[in-house]
Amino acid sequence: MSQRVPNSPLAIPQPPAAMRRNQRLLVGGGVFTVVLLIVVLLTMDLPTWERISRGLTRSLPPLWRGFSNPNFELFPLAFSSMLETFFMAVLGTLLGGVLAFSLSFIAARNLLGGTLQAIPGKALLVAIRTFPEIVLAIIFVAAAGPGPTAGIMAMGIHSIGFLGKIFSDVIEGIDPGPMESIRAAGGNGVHVFLFAVVPQVLPEFASNLLYRFEINLRAATILGLVGAGGIGGPLLQRLSFRRWDEISMMLIVIIAFIIVVDAFSSRIRRTLV
Amino acid sequence: MEPERTELSAAALPRPPLAGRLKALLSLAIVAGLVVLAMRQTEFNFPALFTGAADFWSFFGRLAPPLSELGSDWGAYLPELLPPIIETLQIAYVGTFFGTVLAMPLIFLASANTAGDPVSMWIARTLLTILRSIPDLLWAAILVPILVVGPLPGAVALTLFSIGILAKLGSETVESIDPGPLEALRATGAGRVATIVYGVIPQVAATMVSYILYIFEINVRASVIIGYVGAGGIGFTLQERLSFFDYTGVGLIILVIFVVVLAIDGLSVWARSKLI
Repeated sequence: MSQRVPNSPLAIPQPPAAMRRNQRLLVGGGVFTVVLLIVVLLTMDLPTWERISRGLTRSLPPLWRGFSNPNFELFPLAFSSMLETFFMAVLGTLLGGVLAFSLSFIAARNLLGGTLQAIPGKALLVAIRTFPEIVLAIIFVAAAGPGPTAGIMAMGIHSIGFLGKIFSDVIEGIDPGPMESIRAAGGNGVHVFLFAVVPQVLPEFASNLLYRFEINLRAATILGLVGAGGIGGPLLQRLSFRRWDEISMMLIVIIAFIIVVDAFSSRIRRTLV
Repeated sequence: MEPERTELSAAALPRPPLAGRLKALLSLAIVAGLVVLAMRQTEFNFPALFTGAADFWSFFGRLAPPLSELGSDWGAYLPELLPPIIETLQIAYVGTFFGTVLAMPLIFLASANTAGDPVSMWIARTLLTILRSIPDLLWAAILVPILVVGPLPGAVALTLFSIGILAKLGSETVESIDPGPLEALRATGAGRVATIVYGVIPQVAATMVSYILYIFEINVRASVIIGYVGAGGIGFTLQERLSFFDYTGVGLIILVIFVVVLAIDGLSVWARSKLI
């Protein structure tokens, strides 16, 4: 009888075994994470509190002064360099899109007729994705000289990794029906590609291209830090002289520009898919 | 008898509606115009692309030492790269940890179904938008003059950037959960915190852990370069080698970055596949 008293701990069923195992895993993971954090913090080359607070008392008052009244005289320069950044992102995304478009077909299982045949293409895409674009930009600037072209090429190459992956996933997900009917009607490979593959993948491609453009616009703002064009260059100069009133103006332009472009881009993407 | 119907002439095929064709043409024209304008503004030209690519390949050749000197050059330099690469991973780990801890309350403040009131939701969302608009390297460049040069500004930069992405991804997940358990909990008189702990967290926990691993991947990629502006890690070594024109050193650093990023990605993909 005592077992049936409501609300006694025995009346509540035990969670299933799988859930208990997951809970143990979660607790174990949590303990590991915190222990690792303590080890990392102890071994990291961190400055003393005294040095940090000394640095902060020196740098915060001018920082606050600069950020509370941005220098509006800099607006034309900030805007025009942000516009250059925007155009760099346009071309970088387009370059990446064109290259990824051609590469995605050699990484799609269903077009090549097997998983094995798609491995070289997929491996190439992973390898490209692994290089951060800023590292590519450093190489392009060292190889071909500073300027927006280096930044555009860095963005274009890096975007292949992401876009190629997404594009080939999209191609692998298409409906095989139209392909078969065109083959049945006597169409060759080119016909299948043009009239069965392309119309099915185009909206998804366009939507992902726009999404990549949003990412590239953010990336393009920092490429200038290594001399690859855009707003990053003039911004880095001002950062090294700690001209906070001008830095805050440039940050306002960057943030506003990115928010506006994102809003436009996500609206277009909603109509596409 | 019926000559028009013996073969498929182009005119026999129905054409797509006019409005659709106009829209497609118009978008194509806008994109083309934008590209032409962009090429003029950035002085980008396609010949430069090909000579650039040629320069790029010849530059690649200089990144690797001759095979006979491989041991004396790369072999001797490799151990020196161990401390900066460890520092890089430390920065990524600390950034991901504190980013996650600080993002948690913001996730629930910024989700429509768990937010307290519209005003705090709006403030949280605006804060997240601003955090996300500034790329990680730019955060690092801004923080280096404020905090002391070294791994600290890097870790803080990655923390701020992680908050922005994780809270955005997290609040999208929270907003798409099943409202049933939440209603059931509210019906029993549970408060806001209890509703979140027992109604929301069990539903999103697995997805969130997967996102945290994904953020760690992003942070490893970011932490290899933030040293370039003085925020610690292997990026600092990379910048130093470049300024000495030590191209074989640069080559080895790029190779090490490649291997480390690939290894962390692989580990993270494996852990995520176990999770869901």
